[in-house]
Amino acid sequence: MAICTGCSLLCQDIEADVSDGRLSKAKNLCRKGHGHFQASFSERTFPMIGGKQVDLNQAIARAAEILRSAKSPLLFGWSNSTLEAQRVGISLAEKLGATIDDTSTFCQDSLMESILSGNLPSSTLDDVRNYADTSIFWGADPSNSHPRHLSRFSYYPRGEKRQKSYEEERTCLVVDVRMSATAALCKENLYRVSPGGDAEFIEAIISVLEGKIPRVGDKKKMIELGTLLKKTEWGAIFPGPGLVYSLQGNMEILERLLARLNEITVFKVVPMVGHFNTRGFYELLREKTGHVNRVSFKGGEIAHGPEQSVMAAAKSCDAALIVGSDPLSSLPFGTAQALARLPLIAIDPHRSLTTDAAEVVIPSAISGLEAGGTAVRTDGVKIEFEPIIEAGIPADEQILKRIMEAI
Amino acid sequence: MALELSIIIIRDIFQDEAGKKSRYSEEYKSQSALIILDKQDLAGIGAKEGEKLLVKNDVGSIVVSARLSEDTHPGLAFMRSSPWSNQLVSDATCEAGIPGYKGIKAAVQPAEASAAVTDISEILSRIKG
Repeated sequence: MAICTGCSLLCQDIEADVSDGRLSKAKNLCRKGHGHFQASFSERTFPMIGGKQVDLNQAIARAAEILRSAKSPLLFGWSNSTLEAQRVGISLAEKLGATIDDTSTFCQDSLMESILSGNLPSSTLDDVRNYADTSIFWGADPSNSHPRHLSRFSYYPRGEKRQKSYEEERTCLVVDVRMSATAALCKENLYRVSPGGDAEFIEAIISVLEGKIPRVGDKKKMIELGTLLKKTEWGAIFPGPGLVYSLQGNMEILERLLARLNEITVFKVVPMVGHFNTRGFYELLREKTGHVNRVSFKGGEIAHGPEQSVMAAAKSCDAALIVGSDPLSSLPFGTAQALARLPLIAIDPHRSLTTDAAEVVIPSAISGLEAGGTAVRTDGVKIEFEPIIEAGIPADEQILKRIMEAI
Repeated sequence: MALELSIIIIRDIFQDEAGKKSRYSEEYKSQSALIILDKQDLAGIGAKEGEKLLVKNDVGSIVVSARLSEDTHPGLAFMRSSPWSNQLVSDATCEAGIPGYKGIKAAVQPAEASAAVTDISEILSRIKG
């Protein structure tokens, strides 16, 4: 059995035959996971300096030189690295007095902060499978982002207390601005909000739970929703980027809704982080600094806030180390442009816009396939894994340790 | 004619799969360089599904393919998260440091007949300046 590190569900039941240098047989992989496994055999990186192929030692030495001479380096990425590599990365940031931020910055961080601090009640996905009778996907579309979420945990499986499952015992609701693929599964239970209208919608639910007439939405449908929530025995809310962006970091209103729901019944919030070890990075950095991301160690002091995010740091730092991430593809144009002007060091298994713009490229093993380690699933469950391919490529952890030694 | 629309960035499993395999493939380009429009909006700019559209705002401009939505959402359009959509996303943030991925204002109109869908090499050149 292999693990899939294609998303944060970390499916551990994968059967894959990669013995002849290609993915010849696969079982239990979703389409996203299949792409992740197939990617092991295409568009791999080589050690490069200034666009010319070099040996690994030269690339590592040049990376160390850039970081050593930088006054304000940025260390970015981390969501696709093991806990072991993340730990070295955080130590490296501390040693360099650098700013450190992650791939999911501003996408899930405010929600994760609220969950890790205990302000929002949470649970494992195994509890969802065993107990949940109501699953609410809010600004989330797991059919596209976490494809096996519904089949492994939140809708279809027969759990301990939910043997009749989706046929009789589970209800699936979607709150979204559109008819997403997940919403199409539970059409009559799609609650459409206007873009940015989630806070107003939460207020309307709180009103209905308190027996008042809601100010927004179809009143009859809102009252039906209130009844369904009150009748729920064990509910779970899965907030996606749609909700987090809409609330603009203001988790207080969501916390208020959960507090109200939990006066009536049991309701949990289970995050849906994107990358396979986003949560691991958040937990490690929080343990060290009290913050999940956007941290600077400059001058030996810990600073945290929007000024320490990649968006701001890209414009103020003088070098950047990017690990397992392609910010030139995924971040706004101006931020990508600012990063591209810096001496970039990219540690990545795959060619990307970022590796193509980097001064130094260091190839790394793909975690889960070519390197073992530990990761934290989106719901907080820690999972250890062994590699299934002997590729002879160093893992992020080893590369970072070598850079640290060279510095 | 050009129509001012609000664009929301979404995820798609087919595009995600293509992107994992290669950022430079035709498959990734065809799954990424597109805008999903409401039927009424598509007709409003005098375009049809599959035609090339110019999407432009203060941040940048791209040529992408039009896709007809199966849903109804006049005034709203959807693009998949990619280097193409990011050409239109401002790096200005709200107080909490969050950029506006969920409501990008842009003008959408049919592209000139000679225009090609923006290539990823062109996007990388723009980023590198």
